[in-house]
Amino acid sequence: MNESNQLSELLSAWEETYKKGQLTLWIFLSLKDGKKYVDEIKSFVEEQSNYTMTCESQSLYRNLRKYQHVGVVDFESGEGNKGPERKYYYLTKLGQMLLNSFIERNINLFFNERIRNLINKEV
Amino acid sequence: MKALTKNLMLFAVFFFMGAIVFRYSLSDFIESRSFNLIWLIAVIYFFFNFFIGWFFGKRDYESIPLNDIGFRFHFITYFLFNVVSVLWFSFGFNSHFESIRIVYITALFWGIGLLIHFIFYLIERKNSINGLNKEDIFE
Repeated sequence: MNESNQLSELLSAWEETYKKGQLTLWIFLSLKDGKKYVDEIKSFVEEQSNYTMTCESQSLYRNLRKYQHVGVVDFESGEGNKGPERKYYYLTKLGQMLLNSFIERNINLFFNERIRNLINKEV
Repeated sequence: MKALTKNLMLFAVFFFMGAIVFRYSLSDFIESRSFNLIWLIAVIYFFFNFFIGWFFGKRDYESIPLNDIGFRFHFITYFLFNVVSVLWFSFGFNSHFESIRIVYITALFWGIGLLIHFIFYLIERKNSINGLNKEDIFE
């Protein structure tokens, strides 16, 4: 196996593991951006992640039902585009606090100067 | 935690109807001493319950994966079966060869099993938030 193939395979394997558990963050970020129905959430996640994250609508519905069940997400019905009413999902107050706490503890780490410099440093 | 889900209620409706049909057939076959048919109806009843439990249980889990280790379905089964049985005797639909004592003994031993299941359910609930397993909430 040449170096380029090995790099590609290692990168895929790492990314596969890295992406597990990220869907929640992307969904929450899409809802922080504003109320959305499922297709809009799907588009947001895929576009904003540069298509490194993909998700099926069924998977989104299943996740949203769980988030709603634990009280971090809720929905309101709104008019659809010439079709049946759509469910517009949004973060509840608990959901907003959860996302903020998660970002504070897990994402903001990457923005401290030392880590930012390390990320940008040429090896 | 919302315990009475749509699929659990649908299961309860089918189970209730099945229990009435089973009770009717059982008393009828005992009265006519058709022992082979008693076996047959018992086996059919078993597979019917297995199928509706599997079907609605799977749909229920796919809808919202409540971490109850099957306790809600077990409880509703216990409750409805014994209510139908007791009412069956109360209305006098039973065979002359049947005794309500058997219903009470069955309820007692099954109740012990249900209680053990409940204890395991309480233990499992410690790993849950609003009935969902902590590891299943965020993917």
